[in-house]
Amino acid sequence: MQNIPISQSQPGMTLAKDVVRPDNPNGSPLCGKGVELTAPIIMRLQNMGVQSIIVEGHPLWLEGDKTLEELLADLDHRFRRLDDHPRMQAIKDVYRDCIINSMEGSAQNDR
Amino acid sequence: MTDRRSEILAVIKDTRSLPTIPAIIGKLNAMSVSDKASIQEMARMVSSDQVLSARVLRLANSPSYGFYRVSTISNAMILLGVDVVKSLALSSSIFEIMEKSVLGLWEHSLGAGVAANIIAKRLRLHDCEEISTAALLHDIGKVIMKIKFPDEYSQLLSSIHNDENYFQEAELELFGIDHAEVGGWLAKYWFLPDKLIEPIACHHDVEKAGNHQVKASVVHLADILIKASGFGFSGDDVVHPLSELAWQRLNLNDVIIRDIIEELEDKMVEVKNFTLELQSADAL
Repeated sequence: MQNIPISQSQPGMTLAKDVVRPDNPNGSPLCGKGVELTAPIIMRLQNMGVQSIIVEGHPLWLEGDKTLEELLADLDHRFRRLDDHPRMQAIKDVYRDCIINSMEGSAQNDR
Repeated sequence: MTDRRSEILAVIKDTRSLPTIPAIIGKLNAMSVSDKASIQEMARMVSSDQVLSARVLRLANSPSYGFYRVSTISNAMILLGVDVVKSLALSSSIFEIMEKSVLGLWEHSLGAGVAANIIAKRLRLHDCEEISTAALLHDIGKVIMKIKFPDEYSQLLSSIHNDENYFQEAELELFGIDHAEVGGWLAKYWFLPDKLIEPIACHHDVEKAGNHQVKASVVHLADILIKASGFGFSGDDVVHPLSELAWQRLNLNDVIIRDIIEELEDKMVEVKNFTLELQSADAL
């Protein structure tokens, strides 16, 4: 999933998290997760003052965004002193799965 | 090395150059010792300092506390507890420095607070708010070291970069004392309770903790997990091994650790947004 500015959102993207009112974050959400965005929904959210939304996958490539390969290489780098720690390797595998999952939705969107 | 260590402690203890402790905190300390003062009275006193209240509320609303929306000091005291509000008041000026000059460390601390909150809730521990606060404050010793010894601190950072050392190893080599001990000392100097001092002082060495080994273990794990997720910059980018004792004290297993990491990674998408919003608000 990816956090994107509302101005860059496009119809067809799917919300990965509820969108809440910026002035009342504890109130009922403006739009629930799982909803596929349409032009009227985007306009409504913009009018309510929403700045950014979290969508499925990684539909938008912003400057400085890392590819899946780069993210996994960074993970390897952070765990570089833990090769002989089986427990830490297991923890690293969980992170690897999380990274892959968070990026995979984008592949589906591209298809 | 012992000489160097006591020399360092002496410089840190020189309160003239420590970030100032608001006078209000002294009164608050006196009040919380006497049982007569009500939360309302204490809240009224903190609220009388507007700058301090604003700083405290900003921290109380940070994702480290699971996105409470707290708009008054009195609510913060009820929701988070007097000790937590007191620690936030004491540390708010240091967080101010962190946000401005060591952004990576501020992000790391905030992320550790979020991780500790998730761990404490998943393990159904008591004192979730205190544990999150200890995690938020766990590297506060680094900021003090940076303020007190700016030249040595940059030397430290470059030596870590060149030698691939852990931050703590390089600190011990250069200063004879590490940020955990310094942070623990500072917490003690502020009269924070043991349940906050021990996790700060023992987050690299859970064994050293006395009555609060479980809390120290949570902060130890939170520090490791947030470094593993690559959020913020604590001084080095190498993940530490998790202590076997912490694993046992928290009764962890593969299922629980997976749940915690998945929830943390999910949450971090929102937290990244929170720090970006703070930065753009500051830029205005």
